[in-house]
Amino acid sequence: MNKKQLISAMAVLGLAMTMAAGCGSNNGSNEGTAATSGNTPDNGAATAAADNAATTNAATTNAAASEEPAAPKIAGKIVFTTNRTDLVDTELKSYAAKFHEKYPDATVEIEAIKDYDQTTKIRMASNELADISLIPGTVKNSDLPTFYQPLDDLGLNDRIYFKDNRSQDGKLYGISSGSAAMGVTFNKKAFAQAGIAEAPKTLDEFYADAEKLKAAGIIPLATNFKDKWPLYGWDQEAFIFADDPTLHNTMATQDEPFAVDGPHWQAFSILKKMVDGGYVEKDLMSTNWEGSKKDVASGKIAMFLLGNWVVPQVVDNGAAAEDVGFFPLPLDNSGEAKVVLASDYYYGIDKNSENPETAKAFLKFLIEESGYDDYAGFIPVLKDKKPKLAQLNEFMATNPKVIEMSAENDDYLAIANKMQFDTSAFAQDAITGKDMKTVFETYNKKWKDAKASLGK
Amino acid sequence: MFAMSYKIQRYVILIAFLALPLLLLAVFSFYPALYLAWLSLTSWDGYSPKKAWIGFGNYKEIFTNADMFKVLSHNFVYFMGGIVQNLAALSFAVLLNSRLRGRNAFRVLLFLPYIMNSVAIAYMFTYVYDAQNGSLNALLTSVGLQSWIRSWLGDAAIVNYSLAFISAWKFMGFNMVIYLGALQSIPGDLYEAAKIDGAGPFKSFLCITWPSVIKIVELSMLLTVSGALEVFDLPFVMTKGGPAGSSQTFVTQTVETAFNFSNYGLASAMGMVLLLIVVLVIFVQRKLLLRGED
Repeated sequence: MNKKQLISAMAVLGLAMTMAAGCGSNNGSNEGTAATSGNTPDNGAATAAADNAATTNAATTNAAASEEPAAPKIAGKIVFTTNRTDLVDTELKSYAAKFHEKYPDATVEIEAIKDYDQTTKIRMASNELADISLIPGTVKNSDLPTFYQPLDDLGLNDRIYFKDNRSQDGKLYGISSGSAAMGVTFNKKAFAQAGIAEAPKTLDEFYADAEKLKAAGIIPLATNFKDKWPLYGWDQEAFIFADDPTLHNTMATQDEPFAVDGPHWQAFSILKKMVDGGYVEKDLMSTNWEGSKKDVASGKIAMFLLGNWVVPQVVDNGAAAEDVGFFPLPLDNSGEAKVVLASDYYYGIDKNSENPETAKAFLKFLIEESGYDDYAGFIPVLKDKKPKLAQLNEFMATNPKVIEMSAENDDYLAIANKMQFDTSAFAQDAITGKDMKTVFETYNKKWKDAKASLGK
Repeated sequence: MFAMSYKIQRYVILIAFLALPLLLLAVFSFYPALYLAWLSLTSWDGYSPKKAWIGFGNYKEIFTNADMFKVLSHNFVYFMGGIVQNLAALSFAVLLNSRLRGRNAFRVLLFLPYIMNSVAIAYMFTYVYDAQNGSLNALLTSVGLQSWIRSWLGDAAIVNYSLAFISAWKFMGFNMVIYLGALQSIPGDLYEAAKIDGAGPFKSFLCITWPSVIKIVELSMLLTVSGALEVFDLPFVMTKGGPAGSSQTFVTQTVETAFNFSNYGLASAMGMVLLLIVVLVIFVQRKLLLRGED
């Protein structure tokens, strides 16, 4: 090899090196979309410093008066991660802007993550949790102190619902972002078209209405079977059948929780009857979640069984707000309305946050001022705040019996993870299996084995 | 540095060229594999800082739980699809290696699916297979075969065949190109001599073509087997393992174990078991295919 070849070889090598380096530097950037509002943190800090210098003398006299509880400075940059990829560039961005207006020294970066729970758990494992984030549902309460800060000093303890759900050792680690009632969201026009005057109050009326809708060429109920998660409501309805807000935790004390005619059996029987009667989408494996919202909005499909958070989303997809109604799924023929409330994600603050005070201020802002709960159609977590969603108020005005779902305890999560229990997959199995009894027997056996192997 | 002897220069170049790929391999392949092996001996839940050592507990669980291996029957469907795919690829390769008008256009057409993104293909086929508005059922209706209409992804008995067909369709072109390469390396005078000696096309395929491509067939089968064992993207995107788990594969099950059920330890052990299965199958296959050779 002559010198020329050597030089060209080294040049190629150098090029390869720079390319590899290019790859490396890209690794650090986030996969999610990020929206920063207001100044960059550097600018904010610089202006803050300038302000301080200019007003030091003036401020010293006033400081004692204005900062009575010795409030630490709300400044610096914090990151908030959310699952709402659809809102990150619109609604959520405006919250960050408002917060920046209120505390000019602080900036909030909002990052939306697809596959939220999985990604967040990976970040937890690598100590890269955002300052303020939503706590993934499968994180055990006993792990909360390892990752999150206690939030008792926010002064919200006595004013919020679901306080005990994400508490550990008497300290509060997670505050609910709002809750939703489980019920049937329906298109009033589709009901009118099928000649149905008002929402069904008994189970028999519900089936009769489904028949009428089917006869009118409207798909009565969207199951969204293929996407699996939209079936979670049927597990929640089982809580009402059991009349037990801690049904899952009760299951953790039983060897065979899935009895014939037990709570899950009764709830899934209604779904099975709907499927067998042809009152759902024609091909369960071709269902499409995003499409179903449009279909309910346009009246092609009449109903959903989901949390009331879906109401604003149906309106977003083109329905007039007054055409969308909400009623509790009638579970028997007594005519008594019963409803289960479940909390959405809980906010938590990273234990290692660099600006914990700013993060706490933003959390408080989200809960008290942002109006996110109203926007998302949630029932606010603050006890003294009334929900804004008209459908929900209409529904609550009927004074239904309310069951507030409590959090799943560590025993339940351990058994469920061990046997790979997914409530929505259970519903899928129950309605596609030839015989529901065999499916329930299999689940009982798996549950028993999982429980035994954990020694519980 | 230009005063180096030829020998040293050679080493410098060799090391310089090998260092980068080896480094990448070590960082992104060997280290994760070793870490996986270590994780498979723990009961890690995927996020907490403590990784409790439980020895071979995860492996014991895998081999005592019959459900774990039940899904391999779904993978087997993909393997059968892979064999059909290889036969089709070889036929097309032989056909397109002959003097055929427009053969380059055909080669491109058949190869195209391979360069398309898997997820895009999966989305495309959800429309083809859609039971109500899908193009496949529309086609069957228009040619009067209404009785053949099925819910291609909704019927537990056929969902795996529907999915296996897609993967065969996608990878057929790739196999064909490999076979074409092998075929073109066979000297043409062999065929001429055979023709003069009176061999028909079938005889010359059996005695000239087949022995020349057998090594490539082995390679293709190797890729097919490991591909069939590692199917993930199609069921993950198109059916989420449904209906009711009937299109789960070993890898989708592993992913669920890790991410949905917070059991990284067990999932890592499943990954290791899959690795062992692939190695074992390849070993057996080599023994079977290469009998009498070294």
